[in-house]
Amino acid sequence: MGYQFDFSMVIKILPVLWRGVIVTLELWAACLAIGLILGFFIALMRVSPAAPLRFLGRAFVEIFRNIPALIQLIWFFYAFPILIGAQLTPFTAAVLGISLNTAAFSAEIYRSGIQSIERGQWEGAMAIGMSRVATFRRVILPQVFRRMLPAFTNRAVEVAKVTSLASVLSVHELMYQGRLLSSTYYRPLEILTTVGIVYLVMIYPMTWTSAALERRMRRKA
Amino acid sequence: MQQYEWDFGSVLTYWPMLLQGLWGTVAISTLAILLGIVGGGLVAAMRMSRYRSLRILGTAYVEFYRNTPGIVHFFWVYYAPPVVANVNLGPLEAAVIALATQSSAFYAEVLRGGIQSIGNGQWEGATALGMSSKDALRRIIVPQAARRMVAPFVERSFEIIKTSSLASTLAYGELLYQGMQIASITYRPLETYTLLALIYFLLLYLLSSLAKFAEDRLQEV
Repeated sequence: MGYQFDFSMVIKILPVLWRGVIVTLELWAACLAIGLILGFFIALMRVSPAAPLRFLGRAFVEIFRNIPALIQLIWFFYAFPILIGAQLTPFTAAVLGISLNTAAFSAEIYRSGIQSIERGQWEGAMAIGMSRVATFRRVILPQVFRRMLPAFTNRAVEVAKVTSLASVLSVHELMYQGRLLSSTYYRPLEILTTVGIVYLVMIYPMTWTSAALERRMRRKA
Repeated sequence: MQQYEWDFGSVLTYWPMLLQGLWGTVAISTLAILLGIVGGGLVAAMRMSRYRSLRILGTAYVEFYRNTPGIVHFFWVYYAPPVVANVNLGPLEAAVIALATQSSAFYAEVLRGGIQSIGNGQWEGATALGMSSKDALRRIIVPQAARRMVAPFVERSFEIIKTSSLASTLAYGELLYQGMQIASITYRPLETYTLLALIYFLLLYLLSSLAKFAEDRLQEV
């Protein structure tokens, strides 16, 4: 017994892990940006007065929320290309899967935000002659964004974690590099622990921000 | 582009494999939920303990699991122990340990959130009546907190069922792993993964309808 933790291994693998970190960050930024924009339009569908649009929005959200993210990634990489008759790179498939997943979850954040604004706000804006669209853009949205900020930061944390699933499609992000290194050197303890710590260092500031925002919001309320 | 000929028939001939996979998913999810509740109770008790060192330990545990991706835990539990301590875990044990330790962290937060949401006045009132703090917890706080914990508890349990699909990366025969086998036997990834997505969707949708029904009933009481 008496396993020796090899710290030199940690130093040795850092440059390779760093390359993975860059890909993880690219994936994270792309999926979060696309997901937040698309999610907004899906939320608009969900609160639309037109029933078919509401139904479509709801179906989108339920489908992406009730299927594991890993299945979505695998579906977009192995199944979707057959449907469209074109090959996708692992990165594109991962972006597609994670973005749509993010869109579904953020649509729910927008929706609860929009619906949390009291009726009186709408009525007040209409009373001073604002149109429905103008009311939405100038009165409702600014309040929604402020209220929903902690929830969005939380989502950003979740997306950062979900990007690790792209390793299953061989996207060369952090987890993939970790898996590769640990099978090459046969030092899974050092390598996987380091990978975990790198994720912690990347993600913890976001969690902290989200908690701080929530605290501030509660004080104001 | 040639029209793709869907063929679910050849995939469905392997239904016993899918059924086995479904059983695998249900088995590890159930084990992880049960162990997670016990572990979560311990961690929550640590986080609310009067000893600072226990509080720090509990907080560190929760923060670690909240800020690192699940797939890292799966690989760590499966690959590190054999090298370090010569302990060989099978895919089932590794997957259950990874899922259960992770869910302990999340359930701990559900429990803590529920208990701390009960106002201080309830504690004071119980103490004023001469109840010990153990009695107050058992008779006054927990019955009220339990009702508030139902929704987040259900949500976390759903996350566990979805996360159980990561066990496929350790070659444990749950739904996704079985699906991957079928896809490679039949050369029908489109049908297989679409079917898999459908099975997950139905499973989770059914469970969420049940949970909603139960929640509504609970609120009426």
